[in-house]
Amino acid sequence: MIVVADILSATIIFAIPLLVVALGGMYSERSGTINIALEGIMIIGALFGCLFLNATDNSGWGGKNPQLAVLLAILIAGAAGLIFSFLLAIASVSLKADQTIGGTALNMFAPAFAIVLTWAIQGQGQTTIGIPNWIPIKLSIFGLKASENPGFFERILFKNFYLTTPIVLLILVVTVFVIYKTRFGLRLRSCGEHPQAADSVGINVYRYRYTGVMISGFLGGIGGLAFTIAAGSGFQSTVAGYGFFALAVMIFGNWHPVRIFGAALFFALFKVIGSYTGSIPFLPSFTGVKSADYIYQMLPYIVTMIVLIFTSKKSRAPKAEGIPYDKSKR
Amino acid sequence: MSDYIVEMLNITKIFPGIKANDDITLQLKKGEVHALLGENGAGKSTLMSVLFGLYQPDGGSIRINGEDVKINNPNDANALNIGMVHQHFMLVEVFSVLDNIILGVEPNSAGVLKRAEARTKIVELSKKYGLSIEPDALIEDVSVGMQQRVEILKMLYRDNEILIFDEPTAVLTPQEIKELMQIMKGLTAEGKSILFITHKLNEIMEVADRCTVLRKGKCIGTVNVADTTVEELSRMMVGRDVQLVIDKKEMAPGKTVLKAEHITVPSRLHKNNAVKDITFDVRAGEIVCLAGIEGNGQSELIYAMTGIEKMSRGKLTLNGTDISKASIRSRSKSGISHIPEDRHKYGLILDYSLADNLVLQRYWEPEFQNRGFIRKAKVRKYAEKLIGQYDVRSGQGADTMVRSMSGGNQQKAIIAREIDKDPELLIAIQPTRGLDIGAIEYIHSQLIAQRDSGKAVLLVSLELDEVMNVSDRILVMYEGEIVGEFKPSEIAVEQLGLYMAGAKRDARKGLSDNEGGEGNT
Amino acid sequence: MKNKIRTFLTSQGMISFIASVASIAIGLIFGYILLVCFNSGQAFNGLGKILFAGASSAEKFSKVLYQAAPLMLTGLSVGFAFRTGLFNIGASGQYTMGTFFALYAGLVLKCPWWAALLAAMLGGAIWGAVPGFCKALFNVNEVITSIMFNWIGMFLVNLLMANIPAMLAPNADRTANLAAANKSGIIPKWGLDTLFGSDYINISIFITILVALIIYLILNKTTFGYELKACGFNRNASIYAGINAKRNIVLSMVIAGALSGLGGGIYYLSGTAQYTIVKSLLAMGFNGIPVALLATSNPIGIIFSSIFVSYIQVGGEAMQPEFAKEIIDIIISVIIYLSAFALLLKGVIRKILSMRKAKQGEGVSQ
Repeated sequence: MIVVADILSATIIFAIPLLVVALGGMYSERSGTINIALEGIMIIGALFGCLFLNATDNSGWGGKNPQLAVLLAILIAGAAGLIFSFLLAIASVSLKADQTIGGTALNMFAPAFAIVLTWAIQGQGQTTIGIPNWIPIKLSIFGLKASENPGFFERILFKNFYLTTPIVLLILVVTVFVIYKTRFGLRLRSCGEHPQAADSVGINVYRYRYTGVMISGFLGGIGGLAFTIAAGSGFQSTVAGYGFFALAVMIFGNWHPVRIFGAALFFALFKVIGSYTGSIPFLPSFTGVKSADYIYQMLPYIVTMIVLIFTSKKSRAPKAEGIPYDKSKR
Repeated sequence: MSDYIVEMLNITKIFPGIKANDDITLQLKKGEVHALLGENGAGKSTLMSVLFGLYQPDGGSIRINGEDVKINNPNDANALNIGMVHQHFMLVEVFSVLDNIILGVEPNSAGVLKRAEARTKIVELSKKYGLSIEPDALIEDVSVGMQQRVEILKMLYRDNEILIFDEPTAVLTPQEIKELMQIMKGLTAEGKSILFITHKLNEIMEVADRCTVLRKGKCIGTVNVADTTVEELSRMMVGRDVQLVIDKKEMAPGKTVLKAEHITVPSRLHKNNAVKDITFDVRAGEIVCLAGIEGNGQSELIYAMTGIEKMSRGKLTLNGTDISKASIRSRSKSGISHIPEDRHKYGLILDYSLADNLVLQRYWEPEFQNRGFIRKAKVRKYAEKLIGQYDVRSGQGADTMVRSMSGGNQQKAIIAREIDKDPELLIAIQPTRGLDIGAIEYIHSQLIAQRDSGKAVLLVSLELDEVMNVSDRILVMYEGEIVGEFKPSEIAVEQLGLYMAGAKRDARKGLSDNEGGEGNT
Repeated sequence: MKNKIRTFLTSQGMISFIASVASIAIGLIFGYILLVCFNSGQAFNGLGKILFAGASSAEKFSKVLYQAAPLMLTGLSVGFAFRTGLFNIGASGQYTMGTFFALYAGLVLKCPWWAALLAAMLGGAIWGAVPGFCKALFNVNEVITSIMFNWIGMFLVNLLMANIPAMLAPNADRTANLAAANKSGIIPKWGLDTLFGSDYINISIFITILVALIIYLILNKTTFGYELKACGFNRNASIYAGINAKRNIVLSMVIAGALSGLGGGIYYLSGTAQYTIVKSLLAMGFNGIPVALLATSNPIGIIFSSIFVSYIQVGGEAMQPEFAKEIIDIIISVIIYLSAFALLLKGVIRKILSMRKAKQGEGVSQ
């Protein structure tokens, strides 16, 4: 049972970054722009978020106000992602360039920039930014004492509890409301489905598409920080393809926030399951094979492929996504 | 002051390479239905887009109720109570009717939508003007007629007083057109003023009070409809006398070229079949026309005949050979030529040169390639021959990138390519869509020339004029079946409309001789 | 005469070339600004290294050519796919697969180098075919498939290598020394090493230039190329023309995969490089993208753009330890980003030209 609790806890912690980045991708695509640059945006968000956390750690202020520091780090990560995504918006919306070009450029820029900046700050050759150990939310915050032998629920909730989790879940709830119940959501969706129709009723399609991309930048940045926290070993200028995973999650979730949540949990489970082969009886552990954990590392990617094969035919993407909006072509 | 509610004075609008509007003056009286007539490319849509704020004029001014105004975007137009129903509906398919109507003017409190409030107003308006709709249905599920009513309600919801209709009857049956005319009369009775863009003369005669004619960007004149005739309007529109009825000699059809038996094609959109057990034939020296409203199975039938989609049942015979299972290319080689319905999507590769497009159906032939290598010189020679023969005009001749050619010339290129193959059967789907009268005349003459030389032609058309004038035999399709077969001389347009709308059907279907036709309806 | 010059200057090819050169110039300026930010004292030196290190000695230049060869192939891979309407972001995985097949052939089967290269093409082709099938049959976006397969490929190769002892060096974090295991597996040098005075050169650059020419021929002179491009430009119209679009999508990806795979073989059969068991995707595959974009996917242009990118990469290595060589990656990414502006520039020029024509009365139709 304890193993199940551990697995659930780990699944949630890895699902959170997938969820928030996929939601970001959804905002962007619903407004009409395919955001291939989520990988790079995550890296930039993680970079600045971690640099901030490190700085507060070194100054001591962070250790004294841990969750406030984390909250600020989240906001900074989001802001960094937002500003970075602005570049994508310019290329894709205003310049009407092929949306994969701008995205690819940003994806190449981000890790290189992260390494260069890290060198400059931490000294040559030091490419990892460590994260402080006061980040997790412990029971002590609520005035309770952690038990010697944590039970089922205590393990799920508090083994790996970070502020990013409730914040992202809050973002999910807000997103459901915004997309379907507000004027903003209606107009945003119209820009991704039929921008000419939106234009003809006086909606500024360019502005909404910029907004969609920048929201995806904000959420992507937060996702980058959440990923680094989940991975646990500090920031190493990479997010291991999570930016693209998130796109798969978004497609699997058919661009609906709640379904995206389910898809994120599904994929996170497969990522996590490899570490628990010893503990779960029915999972083969390939004892005869050397370096067998590579098999489990491949698993989430293979599962993604299988799912996409089955769902891509019926998927209903926003109709006008990927097509730059040109006012003169009516 | 004046009884003009809208005055567009000396409007000029220039696009790169073209003067779309050249010093045009148009005046709309309050409560009138004013038609704007002109061929494709005459500048009508541009002029109305200027009025609606989608474009800014390069010269001239606009007055509403006697006051000078600047209309920079549709919001400004809306504020002046101007509304527009576009030719291609501006509706979001996955939104409901309600959401489409309120988009852009949503009732809300602090950004949160208040749909109930909107619903009340919409239901009220719908009753008042007799426009029946279902507020919660998704646009992708409703009929074209209802979609148009949604567009009209959009304008009424916004309290628009000046209503612009851009080619509203293009997609309607004769009955729905009559209903629309009634709706328009009802709107003007309530004090609305209507501007109505069209190139259909008989509709103008029926519903408009006055008509302004545009030709090649210039205003030719404004007339009272009661004082003019169809011929005069047509002459103003084109600048010369136009043959409204085509001169066609009688032909006695020869052998059966195409025989289609029990063709059944499944639908991609729903569980029923798109084409239900159709049987018909086309003979040498005749033009058979499949008439009907868009969406009744014509497209699927043609896809099955050309090989793009599979039939679930049926047999296709071309000159005695069974081609039911043949590939697209082998059907083409057997003598079927095909002018597709959307020249940009299916007929041409816009980023290829004119020469490359002209050999699109023949590039594999020994004449044009040698062991896999293209014979560029031969391709070029062939292209130049076709360009000369069919008068295809382009910027740089055979090297022109097709994207930069005009619609009419693009269509001519396709026709040149398809007819030069000397096909046994020529299939033409809406070949004159979006073209001006000169191009339309040319294409009709080509179709008739094919028929006169003893070939078989299968035409699919939505334009009733074209159906009545060009074809020798008309087959009406409704919901995947052939519901009637006529010679143009045997039937009136209104009757045809009844068959097209499914209000009438005959037992006999599709075969030219009197045998067959499993008369069950 | 003036008219002829103007026509030449404003032809599509010329505009593209000018736009590419402008992108490169701006990218380098941006890189210089970065150098100044990080170490202003050494910045000028650093820029000098980027611009001139590659040509500073025969040995350095040989390294440029040596690294340009695999880059040319990944560039051709991406460019070929672009020309046929697909985005081959999976070049890295195909490259890795090609490497594995080549090294297996060389180390385990002890094949001669040319057979190992063919094996490399096979490996890459298989790895390209899968995204092709997924797109053609199931309509899965090839970008996501390729990315998934980049990672699957990397882990798979790591797994296979760990379980085939013959392939590994004694300390097992990299592949065995090819020279020791199978001398015939190494790509010949044909005296180039004495000519350039360096171990880092062989005939691979000639092989890749030959491949580039072949790809150019295929794309522009054959019916096969005509069909592939037609599918890429307009899938619907090519189906109407009787072209088998699904088959062509798969074939395009197979060819693109084979090219990247060959790139992997070329690099790792040189005898001087050993494949290290890695945790992150190989950059060579991704660097094919800027190479292709800079040359607007023209195979002949790719010959030059790959040499250019390799050149500044050698400069970047020479810049160390004062500057991180990743600055070169930043410059390259800026250049790619600017290619978006290139489209804008071309559009602006075209508009100016057509407005001039309109004023002269030659109505250009829309």
